[in-house]
Amino acid sequence: MRLSPLSTLGRTTMTRTLLDNVNYDVLNTIALKKMAAEKAIADASGVSLGQVATALDDLESQGLVVTIGTQSLPTDDAVPALVATAATRYANLRIDPAVLEMATKFEQVNGQFLKAISSWQQVDVAGRKITNDHSDSEYDSKVLDRLDKLVSRLVQLIAVLSHQDGRFDRYAVRFIRATDLVLAGDLAYVSSPTIESVHNIWFEFHEDLLRTLGQERGE
Amino acid sequence: MTDTAESTVRSIEPALTFSFDDASTAGKAVLGGKGAGLIAMTRSGLRVPPGYVLSTACCREYFVSGAIPAGLLAQIEERLVSLERQTGKVFGGGPTPLLLSVRSGAPVSMPGMMDTVLNLGLNRPAAVALATQTRNPRFMADVLFRFHAMYAQIVLDVLDVPDPGELDAILGPLGDDPDPAVVYDTVWDFCQARLVEQGDEEVPAEPREQLRRAIEAVFRSWNTRRAITYRELHRIPHQMGTAVVVQSMVFGNLDAHSGSGVVFSRNPVSGAPGLFGEFLAASQGEDVVAGTRTPDPISGLHDLLPDAFDDLTATVARLEKLNQDVLDIEFTIERGVLYFLQVRSAKRTATAAIRIATDLLDEGTVSDHAALQMLSVDQVRQVQRPGFDPAEVVDARATGRVIAQGIGASPGQVTGIVTLDPDRAKALAKTGVRVILARQITSPTDLHGMIAADGIVTATGGATSHAAVVARALGKTCVVGCAQLVIDASSKTLSVGGHVIREGDALSLDGATGEVFVGALTLTRPAIAGAQLERLLGLSNRRSGAEVLVRATTVDQVMAAKRAGLPGVVASAADILATSARFAEVIESLRAPEDEASTFAVVEDVLAEQFTALFAAAGDLEFSIRAIDFLTDKISDVLDTRTIAVEYPHLAMPLGSAESIRAQLRGITRAVAASGARPRVSLCVRNVSDRAEAAALAVIRAEQEGSGGVELGVYLTSPRGALAAHELGDEVELVWVELRLLQAAMFGLPDEYLLAREPLDRYSSRGLLSVNPRDSIDPSVIPLLATVAGAAGANAATRVGVRVSGEASESLIGELFAHGFRRFAVDSAEAAPVRLALGKAVPAAE
Repeated sequence: MRLSPLSTLGRTTMTRTLLDNVNYDVLNTIALKKMAAEKAIADASGVSLGQVATALDDLESQGLVVTIGTQSLPTDDAVPALVATAATRYANLRIDPAVLEMATKFEQVNGQFLKAISSWQQVDVAGRKITNDHSDSEYDSKVLDRLDKLVSRLVQLIAVLSHQDGRFDRYAVRFIRATDLVLAGDLAYVSSPTIESVHNIWFEFHEDLLRTLGQERGE
Repeated sequence: MTDTAESTVRSIEPALTFSFDDASTAGKAVLGGKGAGLIAMTRSGLRVPPGYVLSTACCREYFVSGAIPAGLLAQIEERLVSLERQTGKVFGGGPTPLLLSVRSGAPVSMPGMMDTVLNLGLNRPAAVALATQTRNPRFMADVLFRFHAMYAQIVLDVLDVPDPGELDAILGPLGDDPDPAVVYDTVWDFCQARLVEQGDEEVPAEPREQLRRAIEAVFRSWNTRRAITYRELHRIPHQMGTAVVVQSMVFGNLDAHSGSGVVFSRNPVSGAPGLFGEFLAASQGEDVVAGTRTPDPISGLHDLLPDAFDDLTATVARLEKLNQDVLDIEFTIERGVLYFLQVRSAKRTATAAIRIATDLLDEGTVSDHAALQMLSVDQVRQVQRPGFDPAEVVDARATGRVIAQGIGASPGQVTGIVTLDPDRAKALAKTGVRVILARQITSPTDLHGMIAADGIVTATGGATSHAAVVARALGKTCVVGCAQLVIDASSKTLSVGGHVIREGDALSLDGATGEVFVGALTLTRPAIAGAQLERLLGLSNRRSGAEVLVRATTVDQVMAAKRAGLPGVVASAADILATSARFAEVIESLRAPEDEASTFAVVEDVLAEQFTALFAAAGDLEFSIRAIDFLTDKISDVLDTRTIAVEYPHLAMPLGSAESIRAQLRGITRAVAASGARPRVSLCVRNVSDRAEAAALAVIRAEQEGSGGVELGVYLTSPRGALAAHELGDEVELVWVELRLLQAAMFGLPDEYLLAREPLDRYSSRGLLSVNPRDSIDPSVIPLLATVAGAAGANAATRVGVRVSGEASESLIGELFAHGFRRFAVDSAEAAPVRLALGKAVPAAE
């Protein structure tokens, strides 16, 4: 959905105005999800439902969000506003050695995670990748164990960030919910892109981390 | 083997541990899955590296006493001594050191259990002996380094272990020909120091301590959070316990007569007969798996170690016959002696699965029944997906149409119009155009475009990039990492070298080979898989005796059904109207009906025209037409029949308008005459639930001149209708039951809810519905279905069938078959999968 005509509405009032923490958290969640309802925003950001509603009004008046029905969407000005705010809000965090070390470790874990997700989706047959039809429970169990370990590893890394900004704790909660659903047999919660799957949460965290640290995506 | 050591063991504590060559008949509950498998392999005469199993009872004892009981420790020691004698190796010493693998083996495979620890038993004497035996201290250093890291991670739950890349730096100062003892000390001390530095526990240096701790770790892994949750969710008893498998390691790098490899009893990619695989001389198996060295084709073994090769070939052939399946086998040759490490059913491509099933059938290895079981309905769906015309691909490659070569990240062959923007991709796809989305990289904000596109191509990223992961999850063809592509969003072009492709140009992707072709390529069905698949489907039909009709709206679809040898098609009169060029006229007349006669005269005319071509194509096929249903049909976006029913409510009732039915009968009758063909045509009315309705339908036909050749039928959608199936069958020739609508009625939900993932999947995964009607048949529906199926037996002249919409699982089709259904109407892409599912549902012994 292209929202350029709408985005110009807010151009005069924003870009230089920094967002307060609640507005940042709400807008950040919407930008990561591209489209989200109030409940999902509250769930992912940790902001209470009541505050989400207020923040949405505020963000809409600033031209950073449009609401269609129950869903809120970011305008083209949303990401620049987040980037500008993050530079100030996370200025100290960006030079914290513990955080930088965490970010380096994340790169490693992220690489292993993507490999494990690929093993979940595809099986190697004599050098040819074929779709995993999930008929081999032993193979699946191994991959799921690996994913679980990597998620626990990530949750430990996230704790370094939560120390500085509690909003990151929400990722841990969401991961546990998704991994429990997988354990219960709902395998779509591993990598389906259209639900709160482990891969989706992981990916949102990655994007969020890059924005927090003011870094660019590699791939 | 039985020796005095073993009989002593038994006398101390019977049946706590089992040697692989034990004659006991204990099953999986005692030995665990892996242990039972290794014992079975040994018993079948395969040379398996010797080892033993600690039974699940040991695990239970461990939890009772909180430690390994003394009796069990004694048994472990006895088994160890016996292993040393069997292998001629020494645990924790030389000249040939005995190294062990320790793995968990629960009776059912479950997550959370401890992974395998390899090369356990390395202390200084053993390490020195290994270096001396292999004349390769570097190899010993590598094994030691890997063992330490593996033990730390798996047994001690250490998170960070040194990277294998660090080994070179550690060994560098030791020179070219280091003393093995010094190598051991250097590597060991380095690895231990790293653990101490991080505040982690050290790896025990003493081999017996390593073994004891590893066994305890397996026991403890029975109670990890994941394992406990999994057992609770899947109702697996907590007191079951896990077994532990302790096995001697064999070395494929002891001398020139050693090596390791992986073979398949047939090619798992093409299905072609003959041993297929790789062999690496003088290597430990992990080298093959880890891909650190490039192995030779298995034929290389023939030149190097002809005896071992012959042994392998003969054994694999025997095993394949025994298992009646293609096998994937890991083996190691230690000093000329062939050992089997693992034998399991081989994973294979869908094409290979078809060839293998037909070949094993021809060779007489498997029965008809078993041949069909070797193929899954998903594999049939896969091979049915159209691919590029092979001749065109050859030509395209020769004429330089491959403009970029990336990494094939998600297989499939697609052609579409290229667009660089996810929003435009979505908009284009909505108009029915096939779209290829080209992006520099993809991010979550591109998801809607990826869902809309048929194929995705990116300039950056590897096989595990976001685009690749998402494309696979969505089942979309995807090529990533086309570094040569320059994607310019501002000019909406994509260029390679001097070649410029604009948005709107055609592009073709091969998601397996990673090729990007400029222009469109024709899609066809692969011929070879087609012929072999047809054979298996024919076999399936003969076994099930079931008829599968497909939904068809166009002449092409009717022709396809005929080519596939199907007995008939089903069509909906509303769909047929919607595909007519005179559709606007139909809408006009339906929207403002001056009187029923003139309105339905238009319907009659259009149906007569449309059906003439369809019947001509159908020839003598069965052609079962569902009458317009003003209650639930949606003819198009512009005309919802329900809005007509608001104004003319009587039309919503099945037999509300006799004129509507008469007009449809007349249209069909005219079309039959005009087509020159002799299809077996029927008109079936939906939502009927009363004998009086069916009788009224028969009266309408009797009064409508010339329509005697059209059979009549009903589509049952309600429990009331299903329960009346017998009586209805007395009045009309055909009875169809619509599974989705019947399930929806039983759940009291609108039937559209059974089409979309949300909200039902989420809702039932919360445990709020014991059955998700989207994928399984509810117990409340089964008696209804059984009643309907029984109507066929009650009245020999009645043809009873079930309409299944969308993709149905193998088990669902099998269930319908078991309840007595022998006629199925399915969506056109589902004909082959359903035919196979029906053949598979027939029990082996008839």
